[in-house]
Amino acid sequence: MSSLAPARSAESEAAAGSPRPRGSTRKSGRSRRNAAAMLLTGPFVLLLLGTVLVPIGYTVWLSLFTERLSGLGFDGPRQVFVDVGNYQTVLSDPAFLEGVGNVALYAALHIPVMLGGALVLALLLDSAVVRMAKVWSLAVFLPYAVPGVIAGLIWAYLYSPDVGPISSMLPFDPLGSNGVLTSIVNMATWQWLGYNMIIFYTALQTVPRELLEAARADGAGPLRTALSIKVPMIRPTAFVALVFTLIGSLQLFTEPMVLRNFTGSVTSSWTPSLYVYESAFVSNDYGRAAAASVLLAVASALLSAFVMRLSTRRSR
Amino acid sequence: MPNSSVTGGNARRSPVGRPLSSRRTFLRTSGALGAGALAGGTLSGCTVFQGDSEGTTVRIWSWLTGMDKYVAAFNASQRSIHVELSVIAAGLSGGYAQQTNAIKAHNAPDILHVEYQGLPQVLLTGGLRDLTPDLADLSDGYSPAAWQGVRPDGRTWAVPMDLAPMVFFYRKDLFDKHGIRVPRTWEQFRDAAEQVRQADRAARITTFPLNDGSFFAGMAWQSGDPWWRIDGDTWRVGVDDAGTLRTAEYWQSLIDSRLIRTGGTGTQNWIAAMHQGGLWGLLGASWSVGMLKKSIPEDDGRWAVTTMPTWDGEPANGMQGGTAFAVSDESEVSEAALTFLRWLSTDPEVARIGATFTLPFPGYLPSRKTARGEFRNDYFLGDPVYDVLDEAAERVPDWTWGPNALGLFSTVKDAFGSVPAGGTDLPSAIREVQSSSVSDMRRRGLSVEEGSRR
Repeated sequence: MSSLAPARSAESEAAAGSPRPRGSTRKSGRSRRNAAAMLLTGPFVLLLLGTVLVPIGYTVWLSLFTERLSGLGFDGPRQVFVDVGNYQTVLSDPAFLEGVGNVALYAALHIPVMLGGALVLALLLDSAVVRMAKVWSLAVFLPYAVPGVIAGLIWAYLYSPDVGPISSMLPFDPLGSNGVLTSIVNMATWQWLGYNMIIFYTALQTVPRELLEAARADGAGPLRTALSIKVPMIRPTAFVALVFTLIGSLQLFTEPMVLRNFTGSVTSSWTPSLYVYESAFVSNDYGRAAAASVLLAVASALLSAFVMRLSTRRSR
Repeated sequence: MPNSSVTGGNARRSPVGRPLSSRRTFLRTSGALGAGALAGGTLSGCTVFQGDSEGTTVRIWSWLTGMDKYVAAFNASQRSIHVELSVIAAGLSGGYAQQTNAIKAHNAPDILHVEYQGLPQVLLTGGLRDLTPDLADLSDGYSPAAWQGVRPDGRTWAVPMDLAPMVFFYRKDLFDKHGIRVPRTWEQFRDAAEQVRQADRAARITTFPLNDGSFFAGMAWQSGDPWWRIDGDTWRVGVDDAGTLRTAEYWQSLIDSRLIRTGGTGTQNWIAAMHQGGLWGLLGASWSVGMLKKSIPEDDGRWAVTTMPTWDGEPANGMQGGTAFAVSDESEVSEAALTFLRWLSTDPEVARIGATFTLPFPGYLPSRKTARGEFRNDYFLGDPVYDVLDEAAERVPDWTWGPNALGLFSTVKDAFGSVPAGGTDLPSAIREVQSSSVSDMRRRGLSVEEGSRR
């Protein structure tokens, strides 16, 4: 959005106007400004169109059609308009609903553990308690630098019964149908904890030091300072992190996709994203895949809007 | 899935007016220097030189091991056709997705990689060329299983490459040491499995990979009830017919008595178990020879191969995999594509090249003779590998792959997911697969009836 800013400031400057009388100089100046604005916003508009709006439009378009075969099917498909038929199919598909349930369980476990952990670590780093804060923050941040698929493979090997040590230490099978959810939560938490900790830590750095000193002068201990001053001060940051994590949870894909090669407990529609992948690229049902994608996007947008509204209401 | 392997047609264009022969010379040199350089489309993007004396460019997508070597040899052998290979991800790991997407986007390569099991599903895109008249003269040369595999409805849709009959690999050294007889029937197989466990409590006779739908299909194939059959204009679907249910019940009983493992093959876990003596056998196919030599190269002189155990002594075994190549319906150079495919499928040179790095098992019988003569066995004990595979290839019963076979493999994998934990058993999972398969096919508009028995 920032690339829109020059255009708007040029406009407003022109509108605010200088005391110069209306005349040709001003007019040509304005058209030149308009040209400049178009030139500056052009790349953004083109990118927005080409990489966001057109693909979304095409997905919505695709989601209204299905490929109907007939007889043996070897004569190829016909495109048929089905209106909201694909949406009905997806919403009444138990596999999709199960995927939604899995993602909800995952989010219920992952979000408090990961964001809570990140907040605690950030507060510890920010307090005077921890020595070598830089070293610690780097150590916790490092997993984020490991590509998701690689991290998935490493964890999958650690979970595998004959290769890794974890399954012999746990009372349950980390790749079994009862353990796989916690295994995935663990993988994601390991990966994202450091990243969110850095975000919180950076926000904590902006809390005015005078405020903290005042609190100390009033007799607040470190714990009280953390809970009553620092946490409320970084609430907006926390909500942004929450929205990102929520969207990430809905779109959970890499970890289960990798684990699928190691265990049958992760089905081909274990999360909505996997469901989309399976519909499009295994079953070749592009209409159903498009409908599920649109539903997923709408759900993400609604949830984010809801959380953001919650954050503004509570900070008032 | 990353699509990086698609180099598309934009790498390099040959300069206008430059004589093509110099490119050929360059090609030949580079082919001699290292065939690998040709892979991945380093020379892709040449404009299509169609029909004129200068030669024709044919694009092929494939994941076949060693395809770069075959293509290099073909390109070096003549001047009129230049084949350009893009290596893509293996079938279910993204290769089929990439190809069906390309067909849909009208930019498919001239030649597509299909397996017998994937052909009918790819056919549903309507993007393949009917090769019936072009290949009619070759019909007698192929192993019947291969020829039937590319003719699901009596029209020829692809050129067969190799065959993958299923066989049983076993640790001959350990079987001999403990006096375990090589099982000829599945009843004997159960006894052998018990003996293996008695000899070494941690060892099992084999794993039955529950995460591999095409493996289970291969095991069911043997039982004589094909999962699909074409009846006029209708698909008859019988995933839960008696033969398959019998197969499922048998393996469920072995799982229940903990006589086998259920993990996947080819994984680190599996390699470790194979190497350390945790697994004394492998239910595999012809390509498993290459997999064994690659995964556990130090284990030469331990393994032998024999035909699959049978039901009631009736000689039969299924196949798992097997490659063929199809021509895109929109290809403008189908003649040239076919010239290359005929060479690839039937020329003895291909078998000779293949024997240098794998065990080639061509669908074209004269080539198989060449391969047998060229293959140097330095790994297996017991019966000559080609004798066993030839016999297995003869024993393959009738089978038709369905238009949802690839999707069904994933359904099977999902349905078997909770078997190890006791959430369900193989027969109930198979019944579930049948009903979801039938309703899925009907939803797509196909004409379907249940039960494939005649």
